[in-house]
Amino acid sequence: MSIQKRRVDVVVILTICFFFGLMQGIAFCGALDGFAGLEGTIAIAGGTAHIPVMNDAAKNIMTVNPGIRITVEGGGSGVGVQKVGEGLADIGNTGRALSEQEIAKYGLKSFAFALDGVAAAVHPENPVGDLSPQQVRDIFAGSITNWKAVGGKDAPVHLFCRDEASGTREVFWEKLLKKGPVAATANIVASNGAMKVAISQDKNAIGYVGIGHVDQSLKALKLEGIAATQENAMNGSYPVVRKLYMNTKGEPSKLVRTFIDYVMSPECTDIIKKYGYIPLK
Amino acid sequence: MKTATDLLLTAYAWFCAIAVFLATSLLLGFLLKRGMGVIHPRLFFGDTPWFPALLGTKPVFEGIWPALVGTLALVLVSSVMAIPLGIASGIYLSEYASARVRSMLGFAVDVLSGTPSIVMGLFGFTMILFLRKTALPQARPSLFLAAGCITLLILPYVIRTTQTALEAIPEHIRLLGPSLGLTHWHHVRHVLLPSASRGILSGAILAIGRASEDTAVIMLTGVVARAGLPASLWDKFEALPFRIYTLAAEHRSVQELDQGFGMALVLLLMTGSLFAVASFLQRSLEKRWKTT
Amino acid sequence: MQEHARTRIPANHVQPVRERWIRRSLLIATGISAGAILFIFVLLVYFCLPLVNSGGMSSVLSWQWKPFGGEFGILPMCAGSLFLSVFALGLAFPAAIGICGFATVLAPRSVARSTLVMVHFMTSIPTVIYGFASVFLLVPLVRDWFSTGTGFSFLTAGLSLSLLILPTIVLVFHARLQQIDPALRLAAEAMGLTPVRQFLHVLVPAASKGLVVAAILGFGRAIGDTLISLMLAGNAPRIPDSLFDSIRTLTAHIALVLATDSQSMSYRSVFASGLILFLLMGAVNFLIRRLDRGPGENRYENGH
Repeated sequence: MSIQKRRVDVVVILTICFFFGLMQGIAFCGALDGFAGLEGTIAIAGGTAHIPVMNDAAKNIMTVNPGIRITVEGGGSGVGVQKVGEGLADIGNTGRALSEQEIAKYGLKSFAFALDGVAAAVHPENPVGDLSPQQVRDIFAGSITNWKAVGGKDAPVHLFCRDEASGTREVFWEKLLKKGPVAATANIVASNGAMKVAISQDKNAIGYVGIGHVDQSLKALKLEGIAATQENAMNGSYPVVRKLYMNTKGEPSKLVRTFIDYVMSPECTDIIKKYGYIPLK
Repeated sequence: MKTATDLLLTAYAWFCAIAVFLATSLLLGFLLKRGMGVIHPRLFFGDTPWFPALLGTKPVFEGIWPALVGTLALVLVSSVMAIPLGIASGIYLSEYASARVRSMLGFAVDVLSGTPSIVMGLFGFTMILFLRKTALPQARPSLFLAAGCITLLILPYVIRTTQTALEAIPEHIRLLGPSLGLTHWHHVRHVLLPSASRGILSGAILAIGRASEDTAVIMLTGVVARAGLPASLWDKFEALPFRIYTLAAEHRSVQELDQGFGMALVLLLMTGSLFAVASFLQRSLEKRWKTT
Repeated sequence: MQEHARTRIPANHVQPVRERWIRRSLLIATGISAGAILFIFVLLVYFCLPLVNSGGMSSVLSWQWKPFGGEFGILPMCAGSLFLSVFALGLAFPAAIGICGFATVLAPRSVARSTLVMVHFMTSIPTVIYGFASVFLLVPLVRDWFSTGTGFSFLTAGLSLSLLILPTIVLVFHARLQQIDPALRLAAEAMGLTPVRQFLHVLVPAASKGLVVAAILGFGRAIGDTLISLMLAGNAPRIPDSLFDSIRTLTAHIALVLATDSQSMSYRSVFASGLILFLLMGAVNFLIRRLDRGPGENRYENGH
């Protein structure tokens, strides 16, 4: 088959699919209009809290415009910074604000699109539901090793922590643990999703996870009576809060800019809320 | 005369065999049970209708089709690189090399075969770092890099089986070539290779099986959690074993977990059948030589 | 590897030009394969060099892994790898000998054959499948039965790993046993030894070198495996105090750090880990070759 013929075939198929997609009644968001006629690849890497939102956004965009390819990886906020800084990704997601050195070293621009709290979480059947910040600090430092010391069952505490690149870890460590020591015996898991699975399978587990990831399989601990909900995070009464950022190296390209605008547009607030985060205006 | 020690040790041997049998059946049975109900076009294609998904015109979002295609693409590219290279090396080592060269190169091939797969992945990763600093600043982890590292990983399998297959050819077949006045290459190509073909084929199939199951190498050289169908050699891709690994740690719902079991079953079927074919070939080859 | 007498074209035989080119291209192909290993080694060393130069080596060869506290010691991971592999070998090796004895002397023909087929089949099971099934079968089992620890522990990973390396050990040793002159076994039978004693006192010593090679190969496979320890061992970077503690191996360390790294010093520790693994496997290989080539090896084999 000659090249011209094949190209015509591809165009025909794409056009048919485009109309087919339209006829499926996919929510044709206004912001998705911006993608018409664009094509290319967007490589997204970094924060694991962002992944569900990124996946849904990617799904909507790719269904409407099959000429765009979006790949999503995790790895944690540190990896996001590194990959976007080194040019290995177009968008690096972080679950924490960039540091001065990072901005200076790579020349990054940040776009915050959602608010998320970080909660200490336990198994739903754990009788403990409320702890003071000092008790949390002691548990994570390894000084409290049995649940009965904080009013729970007589059972050992199973600690779960995140890997070094995690923005969730950094926010939790700075704001709740006050940069205190963390026991070396903690099990390490590599993402918010993994933390959720680990805690939901172990009755004596404690770990920390973005509030957006909390559902019936986990119980978020209250901090001295203040519930760990996104509303409390929003109004400031729950202290452990972070924004979710998309970062690019310098000014984003047209395709990437359109993606960022789409995620921050009113049409995407449904997606962001669906996964438990609070969209930022 | 059977003593107590005899009986004890016999019991021990039976116990070992039964224990291993039980452990393996438990493992496989568990996977079958959880995965069987999930094998369904929906597992592969999610919500997308299957025909456009097969053609690649509509993206698949909740199915394992992209991961399956990614694995197949990876296996294809790495086999195309590894099998000819491996057969050529095997021929050289078996038929042309002097004893000393054979020993030296053989040692290198052995070390290659003993290299842990994560170190191979690390090598791929450092290649990217190296290239970015020197010749190719746009180098990124990609399907091609992962396939290249997998090639290095499976090369020893092909080399070793080619060598063994060639060396197992009986003397009277070996005499055919020189007795007819064929040059060495003609002898290799028209007499030896066809005789050893089954062994070589089984080695190639084992190599393909190894390529399809490896996770550690691709984790560091270009596989990602979500990438759709691989658009080109220089793109990131998805793969079955990596998806299985990720789902084990972080499934977001019971459906995703079931998907993981379905994938595990698919992968097991793939490697199991490749292995069965390879050992059948190997077995028929042995039978052939034993009767002559 | 045995040398058979083979008919070979002597090297000084006159060859047409085409022959020479074919020979050269085959040599190049082999050179590429062999050269790859050299290249890997050189690249790893090259990336480790800054470590040596900046004196970071002592930092990497220390016992604490706290990247944000500036400590990048990988020794706990080395210890983790070693302990886990030795444990897995300790479980798998006796079981392998048991199975070999079972298949060679104790079981009826058909049962022996099906056992070997099963073991053979086990070699085709990917490690990710072992890991995946263990996460959902073994981890809850360990957690509930022993009610200590989270289930992600040294023990869980060790059990799974031993299942992984068992087929390797069985097959290598079995192949060795098959090569023994059948006359030896007949002699033992004629002297009135029971099958168990034949196996223990005659066959095993005759194939003793095979025993060592099988153990070394199994150990090598255990050390080189990534996924089982990554998925099952808990990944805490410390030396275990008990069977139920969480540990991290060198291989899992490389995977974790590279997948979730954010600092360049961590990178260096990863190259050091890779280099250590590489050298270790090279040594293992070298040992096996020495053993294979040792004198008196062919004493009990067919034809002597």
